[in-house]
Amino acid sequence: MTGLETLGVVAVGTVCGVDLVSGPQALLSRPLVAAFLGGLVVGAPLPGLAVGALLELFALETLPVGAARYPDWGPPGAAAGALVGASRASASPAGWLAVLLVAIVVAWFGGWLMHQVRRANGADLHARHAAVAAGDPAALRALQRNGLLRDAARAFILATFALTAGDYVSVWFTRGWQAPQALARLAIAGATVGVGLWSASRLFGRGRTAWWFAGGLALGTLVAVIR
Amino acid sequence: MTAPDPRPGAPGAPAAPRRMPRFGRVLARCFFIQAAWNYETLMGTGFGAAGEPVLRDLPGGPGGGPYRVALTRETGFFNAHPYLAGLAIGAATRAELDGEDPAKIERLRAALCGPLGSVGDRLFWASWLPACVAVGLLLAALGLRGWAVVALLVLYNAAHVGCRVWALAAGWAQGLHVGSALGAPLLRRAGQVAAPIAAFTVGAMLPVQLGAQLAGAPPAAVLIGVAAAGAVAGLIKLLAPRASGSAVAASVLALVWIAGRLWP
Repeated sequence: MTGLETLGVVAVGTVCGVDLVSGPQALLSRPLVAAFLGGLVVGAPLPGLAVGALLELFALETLPVGAARYPDWGPPGAAAGALVGASRASASPAGWLAVLLVAIVVAWFGGWLMHQVRRANGADLHARHAAVAAGDPAALRALQRNGLLRDAARAFILATFALTAGDYVSVWFTRGWQAPQALARLAIAGATVGVGLWSASRLFGRGRTAWWFAGGLALGTLVAVIR
Repeated sequence: MTAPDPRPGAPGAPAAPRRMPRFGRVLARCFFIQAAWNYETLMGTGFGAAGEPVLRDLPGGPGGGPYRVALTRETGFFNAHPYLAGLAIGAATRAELDGEDPAKIERLRAALCGPLGSVGDRLFWASWLPACVAVGLLLAALGLRGWAVVALLVLYNAAHVGCRVWALAAGWAQGLHVGSALGAPLLRRAGQVAAPIAAFTVGAMLPVQLGAQLAGAPPAAVLIGVAAAGAVAGLIKLLAPRASGSAVAASVLALVWIAGRLWP
């Protein structure tokens, strides 16, 4: 990965991270999108799309509801897409397993960092309390701008960390892996589809939607068998 | 002859215009309503910042007494689904320009938090988002490459942007009577069909994804993959809510990695 590509991936990760909460909430933060874009930056969008699909199955569990703390999949998604597209070490299933684990850990860390950003926004509001209480529009603009910048800094840190750690860990993982690559492939398939299955059954496994879910499962199984 | 009462909405004062002033600017700010999200006022800062361009039409203009008082009021605690918050912004700013009783405006903001949150969460986060993501994942698994991402973004944002525009316009049109907009036929119908669509598409996507991930593997390996997915889902169910699904699945992957290192 060249220096310019690294900068591009971090920029994409930052934009995707800001999209999660601060705005415009247009789903750029979904790992399928972020990883595809990360891969596109390094000239390999399809591996990016493939690893994004795996992370997306994990992210199905996340409902970005209000004040809840939830993982941020955008910046690690962009980094993961770029890593599997550009790095030889992460081209094997064992390397993908490493990239996935790093992305998951960074996504959780992103949720914790978001909590810190929200606390800092609250402290900023306290500091400008008199101006806000007096209806000063400049204070509101400053609060909005600072909040956006804090969130951008958070996403920048996440993308940089995911890119750096993912690169090292995938090389380390791949070197130490002695089992057949098929084991890593099976484990990834089982874990990603398993977490997706659980998330879906939690959302749709009761009442009227359960029948629709079962119908979808049946049709999907038919399509998978025919293919 | 007495001078006209300068309070907006009072006899002699200009009524709120038919169209929302600076609609485009308010709409653009609505997309960043959560930029300064905090645990004190939640979306309050973003609410005030989004509605501010409308308040400039209050008597005295920006910087005038009514403007400052209204802006302070609109910056107080608020929480709702971000896509539907425009409904409250439109209604509250309309009420400000109509010179409604401040207590009524505050009650309106407080009353809208719950319904706008629950309707939006159910419609978007729990239904439309998983449905669009499932379409994207299905298309990716079926080999449609970048079109999967395009389809996901276009499908989702058609509803997302449409909802933001509709909410702001409907809030402005209804003012204090905005509650009726929540019962709009389109919103009701969308709520009824979104969940079944999501359930069906997510259900169809899961086996296709598994098949794509294990493409080319022998049938026995595919069966093991199906069993592994079921086992992971069962394990998550067993451990929830003490551990999240991704934590359990990540632990499984970490254990597999250790096994891969110790492999004889």
